[in-house]
Amino acid sequence: MESLGHLLSGFAAALSWYYLLYALAGCILGTLIGVLPGLGPAAGTAILIPLTFSLDPTGAIIMLSAIYYGAMYGGTITSVLINVPGEAASVITCIDGHQMARQGRAGSALGIAAIGSFVGGTLATVALVVVAMPLASLALKFGPAEFFALMVAGLCLVVGLAGKNIMAALLMTVIGLLLALIGLDPVRGAPRFTFGVEELFDGIGFVPVVMGLFGVAELLLAAETRQTHMIEAELKSWMPTRQECKDCVGAILRGTGVGFVLGLIPGVGAIVPTFMAYVLEKRVSKTPERFGKGAIEGVASAETANNAYANAAMVPLLALGIPSSPTIAVLMGAFIINGITPGPFLFTEQPTLVWTVIASFFVGNVLLLILNLPLVGLWAKLLKIPFSYMCAGVLIFCIIGAYGLKQTMFDVWVMLGFGIIGYLLRKLDFPIAPAILALILGPMMEKSLRTTLEISGGSFAIFLDRPVALVLLTIPLIVIGFLVFKPRSLAPLRESDVE
Amino acid sequence: MRQGRLIATGAMLVFCVFAVWQSLLLSLTDRLGPGPGFFPFWLAVIGAVLAVALLITTFREAADPSDAETRILPHGEGGKRWLAIVVLLAAVTVAMEFVGFRIAMFAFNAILVIALGERRWWVIAVFAVLGSVGVYYVFTTWLDVLLPVAPFGF
Repeated sequence: MESLGHLLSGFAAALSWYYLLYALAGCILGTLIGVLPGLGPAAGTAILIPLTFSLDPTGAIIMLSAIYYGAMYGGTITSVLINVPGEAASVITCIDGHQMARQGRAGSALGIAAIGSFVGGTLATVALVVVAMPLASLALKFGPAEFFALMVAGLCLVVGLAGKNIMAALLMTVIGLLLALIGLDPVRGAPRFTFGVEELFDGIGFVPVVMGLFGVAELLLAAETRQTHMIEAELKSWMPTRQECKDCVGAILRGTGVGFVLGLIPGVGAIVPTFMAYVLEKRVSKTPERFGKGAIEGVASAETANNAYANAAMVPLLALGIPSSPTIAVLMGAFIINGITPGPFLFTEQPTLVWTVIASFFVGNVLLLILNLPLVGLWAKLLKIPFSYMCAGVLIFCIIGAYGLKQTMFDVWVMLGFGIIGYLLRKLDFPIAPAILALILGPMMEKSLRTTLEISGGSFAIFLDRPVALVLLTIPLIVIGFLVFKPRSLAPLRESDVE
Repeated sequence: MRQGRLIATGAMLVFCVFAVWQSLLLSLTDRLGPGPGFFPFWLAVIGAVLAVALLITTFREAADPSDAETRILPHGEGGKRWLAIVVLLAAVTVAMEFVGFRIAMFAFNAILVIALGERRWWVIAVFAVLGSVGVYYVFTTWLDVLLPVAPFGF
């Protein structure tokens, strides 16, 4: 009941005209970013951070969250119309969505994706309201040892579930953590790894690094492999038929469940829930042979799971301060830039902000539905923007974003450097997500560990005396152990399921 | 590909070893507990061990026939576009300090779209003006973001 009261006051604020405007702008910009192939939600959210510099913290978070949701939906449009996922989570949508477009049912595919995204997003936000506050209350009982263990667990889950090569993912995590330690020591204030460079005393900026690793690196990859393959898909109607809607009810509900549950686990990534929901739908279907040939349930399940995941991923961020994906890490960076530390104290120290942001998730889902159903044709036209203009436009935002925060050219160089590093790492198949999450969690991890060791007089045995910390530190060992020694039969099963 | 992975892992190993050395210059412990060098030292040690393990694993991997076709560095037409973006980004970063955001971005936008294939001069001109003067106006006036201004005030 307490949550409901807070939520209602959150709605009162979220429905004010200026926050509605920020949410609307975020949804439009996010969809635009999602539509443009190659720019995923993480890059999109990072690139558009400069637009929020002058906003109040609540407005900035509302707008960036809306950009995130918008980008998640925008990726669907390219998946259906040109068989190119606008972002990774829309890969599964390509399978049946594009087949539907080829059969002249693009409108139905995009319509059911919008409806599924709305239902999945809204139900997941309801669950977020129910789960977040008790989880935050529980986390308030945590000491530095538990928080350190929680962050280690979160990072290891990201390593275990996001990386194909566990060792490379672990190495990337360590590199990210080391980069995070550049600057003044958070406990004693001693400069570390600064080499007398004044700009490094504040550490390496999160925004320039993210803009480089995602924005610039993605453009460099796109520039190298640029292909134009627009397929004119028929958009006779943007609404699925009554029968199609009826066929998708089960798929949407199951997709919501899968997306929400997997969204709570750090590191799962958006592609896993969509994949799992699709496989589940194929398994429960009486006519599984239709999947891959334009089954609308395939589109509905994947897209619903996608948006339910996006909303559920906010739970670990808001309640525990743990980002579960690179995009959520970017959002966490935006919180920190605005002087807000996500985590259990957020609900007690900044209740107005957190509940306004949660209420804005509902508003954002409604806005996305209103925007996306009638505007599908307009979004499709955006695919015709030539690469040269898209590239220049994105780079303008990257330069302003990197420079604008501290007004130093040093950060623009950092962005360019990390853009080239990001390009090379992607070509060499090194996972970037663990490094991004480590970069944002590094200072907090160090502070928690050092405080814990100061309490214990330098003894690591304190982790054995605290059952929660011990359990949290055991989880990653089990996950990584399982993935290193996983049954070989798992891989072929996965591949065959989506064929 | 394998060679590229070996070089990248080797670079990360050097980075970790360098971090170990730098951490040792800081105090690992003091009377209050762990010092500024404690966390980076142990992280860098773990990183170095992982890098060595990854180097050995990659070295032992059987050569993939498709590796020969995979080029790490950009090449051909795509390589030219790649190089144009990198060089122009570096140039605009240097130029902004001397000629300000508007002039530097005007030149950056115009040259970049030409390098990426645009030939219609009026489209290039409109885009370059909007992407420099227009963007400057929006960000400085509406969004309160400070952008570089040249010493001569433009």
